[in-house]
Amino acid sequence: MSILLPRKIPRRTALRGMLNGAAVTLGIPFLDCFLDNKGKALAATGQSLPVRFGTWYWGMGHTPGHAITEKAKSGVGIDFLKETASLKPFEKQINFFGNFGMPLDGRSNYTHFTGWVGSRTGSIPQRQGDIPATTIDLLIADEIGNDTRFKVIDASSTGLPRDNYSARSAESRAETEVSAIALYARLFGPDFVDPNSGNFKPDPNIMLEKSVLSGFSGVSKAYLAKLGASDRERMDEYFTSIRQLEIQMSKRLEKPEPNVACLKPQPPKEAQVDKIAAAREMPNVIETHKVMAKLLAMAVACDQTRVFNMSFTDANGNVRRPGESSTHHLLTHAELVDPALGYQPQTFWFNTQCSEGFATYLETLSSIKEGDGTLLDNCLIMATSETNYAKVHTIDGIPIYLAGKAGGRMKTGMHVVGSGDPLTRIGLTAMKIMGVQAQSWGTKSMQTSKPLSEIMV
Amino acid sequence: MKHIAPKLLGCFLGLSLALGQSTAAFAAPPSKGTMGFVIRDWFTSVYNSKFNDECPDGLTPSYDEIWWRGISREERAKITQNGLNPPLNRLPYAMRRGPKGENVCLQPDVVKDPPMRVIEGKYSYGANIDGTTDGRATAKTCKHEKFTHPDGTPGIDNQMYRLVGCIYGWRKGGLPEANAHEGRGTSGLGMILVEITGVNDKDPRNSDNVTITFHRSIDQFALDGNGKPLPYSSYNIDTENGKNRYGDKLKGSIKNGVLTTDRGDVRVPYYGGYGFMHPAIKNMALHMEIAEDGATATGQVTGYYNADEFLYWVGGMVGHATTAADCPALHVAARQLADGYPDPKTGECTHLSTAIDIKAYSAFIIHPEQKSASR
Amino acid sequence: MALQLNVIKGLLLSGVVALGFGMAGCSDGEPVAKGAPPTMRRLSNEQYRNVISDIFGPQITVAGQGDNLARADGMIAIGSRMARITPAGFEKFYNLARLISTQVVSPANRDSEFPCTPADPKVADDTCAKQFYAKVGRLLYRRPLTTAELDEAVKAANEGAKTKGSFYAGAAVGLVGMLTSPQFLFIVDETEPDPDHAGQQRLTAYAKAARLSFLLWNSTPTDDLLTAAEKGELHKDSGLEKQVDRMMASSRLDSGVRAFFEDFLRFEQFDTLEKDATIYPAFSLKVTEDAREQVLRTMIDHLITRDADYRELFTTRKTFVTGPLARIYRIPVTRPSGNAWQPYEFPEGDLHAGILTQIGFAAVASHPGRSSPTLRGRAMRESLLCQKVPDPPGDVDFSKFEDSDSPNRTARERLTAHRSMEACAGCHKITDPIGLGLENLDGAAQQRTTENGAVIDTSGDLDGIQFKDAVGLGKAFHDHPATANCVVDRLATYAFARVPRTEDKAYVTYLQKSFANDGYRFAPLLKRIALSDAFTAVAPAKTEQAQLETKP
Repeated sequence: MSILLPRKIPRRTALRGMLNGAAVTLGIPFLDCFLDNKGKALAATGQSLPVRFGTWYWGMGHTPGHAITEKAKSGVGIDFLKETASLKPFEKQINFFGNFGMPLDGRSNYTHFTGWVGSRTGSIPQRQGDIPATTIDLLIADEIGNDTRFKVIDASSTGLPRDNYSARSAESRAETEVSAIALYARLFGPDFVDPNSGNFKPDPNIMLEKSVLSGFSGVSKAYLAKLGASDRERMDEYFTSIRQLEIQMSKRLEKPEPNVACLKPQPPKEAQVDKIAAAREMPNVIETHKVMAKLLAMAVACDQTRVFNMSFTDANGNVRRPGESSTHHLLTHAELVDPALGYQPQTFWFNTQCSEGFATYLETLSSIKEGDGTLLDNCLIMATSETNYAKVHTIDGIPIYLAGKAGGRMKTGMHVVGSGDPLTRIGLTAMKIMGVQAQSWGTKSMQTSKPLSEIMV
Repeated sequence: MKHIAPKLLGCFLGLSLALGQSTAAFAAPPSKGTMGFVIRDWFTSVYNSKFNDECPDGLTPSYDEIWWRGISREERAKITQNGLNPPLNRLPYAMRRGPKGENVCLQPDVVKDPPMRVIEGKYSYGANIDGTTDGRATAKTCKHEKFTHPDGTPGIDNQMYRLVGCIYGWRKGGLPEANAHEGRGTSGLGMILVEITGVNDKDPRNSDNVTITFHRSIDQFALDGNGKPLPYSSYNIDTENGKNRYGDKLKGSIKNGVLTTDRGDVRVPYYGGYGFMHPAIKNMALHMEIAEDGATATGQVTGYYNADEFLYWVGGMVGHATTAADCPALHVAARQLADGYPDPKTGECTHLSTAIDIKAYSAFIIHPEQKSASR
Repeated sequence: MALQLNVIKGLLLSGVVALGFGMAGCSDGEPVAKGAPPTMRRLSNEQYRNVISDIFGPQITVAGQGDNLARADGMIAIGSRMARITPAGFEKFYNLARLISTQVVSPANRDSEFPCTPADPKVADDTCAKQFYAKVGRLLYRRPLTTAELDEAVKAANEGAKTKGSFYAGAAVGLVGMLTSPQFLFIVDETEPDPDHAGQQRLTAYAKAARLSFLLWNSTPTDDLLTAAEKGELHKDSGLEKQVDRMMASSRLDSGVRAFFEDFLRFEQFDTLEKDATIYPAFSLKVTEDAREQVLRTMIDHLITRDADYRELFTTRKTFVTGPLARIYRIPVTRPSGNAWQPYEFPEGDLHAGILTQIGFAAVASHPGRSSPTLRGRAMRESLLCQKVPDPPGDVDFSKFEDSDSPNRTARERLTAHRSMEACAGCHKITDPIGLGLENLDGAAQQRTTENGAVIDTSGDLDGIQFKDAVGLGKAFHDHPATANCVVDRLATYAFARVPRTEDKAYVTYLQKSFANDGYRFAPLLKRIALSDAFTAVAPAKTEQAQLETKP
């Protein structure tokens, strides 16, 4: 048996692994569309600021009629109501998308599942647990995430490792980071190279470890030939993963450009954030999210990654208030609508917390100065949920936000009305803004080739 | 005492029996006719009115205050480094103010302090222990004043309250007992088990003829995440050479979930203020209201507490500032107020009538010889 | 105590072998095996920990883990053959490999880990490196290393020694490579032409050893087993049975049986189990850990130590408890503090009987602050009876029956209202009547007789078998034919890492009948599977020409 050495993964192999199952059609060859960077020049170094993509997830949608006033047609200005009042200060940095549809083509609405899968992959799952295509963040990461230490970073403030709305398939769904301390260690632990520390010295051990990694991941052709087709694909994805780690190692060998926005944060305090026993009690969720948001924002500012996913609460609404027997999910179904208020008061409380969580997140990103603007200005953040009105699991009109100016590539401050169009139009627009040369996105009735030109610069 | 009036409790167990349900939920442990509790809270019962009416001249001055008054301005300056030393640093001086530098808490007779202020109010928690209406002397008691219970019941004996009620440290939530409580919670010392036998299995909340045995546990309190005790934990009985170290018994009955007992002498373990002792509470009775779910009980222990043991405990306590008691005056007052168990030689009473508020949690009591348990 | 138990277990097992399930090969009516394509299974985190501990010793800390395997078609075992290693997942394995390798070569451990001592610890030593990698590599890869693999490892060690100026630091570098290699992380069914059946493939003896070892011990094959494989013994019925008997008589069988039941009973739920501390103050993290262990201890004791009828797991009053569990069950224990496990038998009259009433089931299939007859009913149907309960429809307004202010005080009243809605009735009729049987156990599995002041009615029926309470429900499970058939079906699924196909039906039926004939004892069933042709039969993989480098 001979070993293939060295194991440099061919670009095509890697690409095939990455696009496994993606319902996206590429317009021009992959290589030609690389790094279409419209970022502004940073005076100090002459470096251009990259545009980054993030997602933010919250569970249980919102309360129609009490979150954002519906509009008949698209236009400037978003009318934030009581439930989303905390987002008002960010009106000029946000687009809200209302009344977009999710046509099921006769498939079931698997409650708390179909909604997030459809909005993140552009395809409707065939059954509970099925993730039929690659999620949008990874499609964008395949485009813009190849030159940073991490291609993508996932974090969740609910303590549920499976609470990750980023995947290439059901089988290729990384566990998300649920511990702020572990997240810190991964981002800013010993492997972090501080761009502003004067004495950069490449660690000779890294070269060694990198070459060993390539060497050992080699398997013989005969070995591969015996594997079934799907197992070979799995092996292929394993190679892609190694390649990603090699990139991470290479980054540690390069002297990074000084970066004024990057300030290595302090490690979080354990007692503060890792309350495993009550991870899903709202006060703890909020606290963990706050800490994680800061870490993610700084990881982005330090250019450790350009794609980052945060889930605030989960698609099954497992969060709760201390001492209450009902979770957010149970409340959405069980709680009566208060006739005087016109909504479910406790559910409303949770929904409000979600809006506040998103506001905190945006605040954190905009608190970091970058170039002549903020980090948020150089990001595109897509926030989604799995339902519109959780009480009855509606998936039409799922609220979606795009926030940040994407380095000047996106117009903001608009309420965009979908009039029942598939919500894939929003994702396609985001992909185009991020430089993915996608002609269309989505499958069956969800397929679209029409981006929302009104928000594109 | 917190008002414990027998009330008609919907009898949970009886109800389930009547409906032919399984009685397992709370009935399993009394199936052998026993119920067990571990006492967690143990606080001297004090009646505090809103405006301190019971102490009309104010609270009694503390020992360091008395010491401070007794020294010159120059001495004060010297000891406190011109006022720079914080009050706590004065304590060793304040305690050692005997003519030869004696510790006045350990040797209270070496100085003569002004009399301390004691309770002058009309009301107190507790029970009528001596059986008289006027507090006249009997074979086992000395003449003393009676209190009226805040609920109007006359004839209450509580000379311990009269003694300590105007001391800062014994006001409600006062530090000496709060510290002792804290210490018991974490040390596993001084834990009192209350075992009730002869319980009517069919209706444990109404048992005419029960025996109450007091043991000491050697297992730690089982606590929840907030440090509160958990019911239904098991506790082994402490033994010495294979024999129960405590084990005094009282007779009693349970009516509608309220346990009352006859009186008798009971030795109980006590830990607090970094000291351990086992006072015998004389002529003691236990009154305890068992919660409907059987998980907890609150109530009161009444009886006579040995004045010497009490004074010894106060005297040995480290950090007297927390008690704010003045040992020499306290010794004098305690002897004057003692109302129980006259010394056959001197005729002076040696014990103070008292009331202690307790809270207990349902517990399985494990007997070493049987290796069986009861709750 | 543990030693004593093992001795008893050993005696029992050997007795059982002599009496009952000493079957020669698979000649007792096993249908002809069709075989299935080879599998490529990712090591589970538990397997990873076991393997490291077996090879390098328990003193090596495995501080971390890879991504947990996802459940597919109801079993994690099936998920293992579909699992992919994502970049983030690989990073975890890589970091773990670094931590483990550093410990293995540390001054404290190197003497016991290395079969040799380098001539000079500051420089590379080909011979010693080769000996070390040959020894551990065979156990890690579950077969002897090829010359190329061994050379690669030695090369890495030499480069490492040169860069780091230490033989041992260099050896760690090569070990990291092995621990992150696909040969280690994936258990691949390697095949070879079957000399007895021309044109057909069979598993190599080493692949058979791995299957046996992961099924019975949930770990990598030991030196003994690999040696038996090397000698070709595993291709012979007698040799195979000898190895299976040896493995089943070992106390390590516990690990294998535990692993199956963790998968069968969906134990990953414990990892994220959360109870409200205000509502259930006694339910601590320790309770969660102990509740999980309690179920497994009860099963091992019942099924292996006492070799008892599987169905009696649903009725047995015998179990093991710790102080924290005892407070939930409200029972006495002689050692209330610490981690002391003590045997306990629930008395007659107590509603805790059988695994359904244990915290590990009743509290897990509940909400954080209340019980859930629907979750419990669904778990019973799907996990224990292998029945499928459809997902709820998407557009139901639940307010009418879930409102806590409504006059419906008990779960039964609320769910009766629920079932009055046509869209819900179909599924809730399947789940609720049995779920309600456990309503005397609250969301933490603590006994109660009332809810919101109303007396709870726990009567119902399980597919026609009437019961009055939780104890009766356990009896109904004992008597339900699906109970035993389900565990057989799932054990076969687990062993083969695939859902039995139509052509496997005869085999599963054969196992189910044998299980009944053996008195529903688990060990004989496990042995029967381990020895059966079906367990190792392979069909050709669904391959195309390997095109990794060339596909356009």
